[in-house]
Amino acid sequence: MSEKRKYKKRYCKYCEAKVDFMDYKDVANLRFSLSERYKIMPRRLTGNCKRHQDMISTVIKRARAAAFVPYVVTRKKVITAPFENLR
Amino acid sequence: MRNYENLVIVKPTFTAEEIAAAVKNVEEIITSNGGEIAATDAMGMRKLAYPIEKSERGYYHVIYYSVEPSAIAEIERRFRINEDLLRFVTIKYSTNREVTAWNSLVEKAKKAAAPVKEETPVEEAPKTEEAPKTEEAPKTEEAPKTEEAAAE
Repeated sequence: MSEKRKYKKRYCKYCEAKVDFMDYKDVANLRFSLSERYKIMPRRLTGNCKRHQDMISTVIKRARAAAFVPYVVTRKKVITAPFENLR
Repeated sequence: MRNYENLVIVKPTFTAEEIAAAVKNVEEIITSNGGEIAATDAMGMRKLAYPIEKSERGYYHVIYYSVEPSAIAEIERRFRINEDLLRFVTIKYSTNREVTAWNSLVEKAKKAAAPVKEETPVEEAPKTEEAPKTEEAPKTEEAPKTEEAAAE
């Protein structure tokens, strides 16, 4: 419920920032569209427009291949704050 | 000629010289296949998000270059054989929008490399650290603001 409210007002954050290109290397910017378990957040929750959602999904997939972002976070191998490796 | 970017992760068990040699070797593979290296960006030793070949860390190196599209297959084949590399990621920049982004990335990499060549992981650190924490917080704050604006 609380999560629903968090995303109530829907607008594309990337359109507002006029993002034309996303770089898979700056992981900090991908954080918005990733869930706690590093899944790609659906459009209905983030409010991203189709164009930017397509962009972010390819970028996240690239970042996963480059081991910037984990593919899966399970209970067995919990990654404690993977983003702190950015130091 | 088309613009490409290659990210390469070198094994963490190497010494500094061995890493430099491995990176040089990678660059040689690209140049020997007719590639022109525009800029390089050494991101340095980082923790991997998941272990690759049992190693938890890796040395990241990014190379921006332009080459004939037909040469990519050969370059990737050579990378696959190369045992110094844990992983490589090749990105193609073909559309106009992507090419301008590529140009700006090259500029950024050059600027980062300018003060101390090859050793610029310091540059990366502070910029990326701030963002993840602040990313979550402002979103909740923004929502009521826009509602207020709508009400007005």
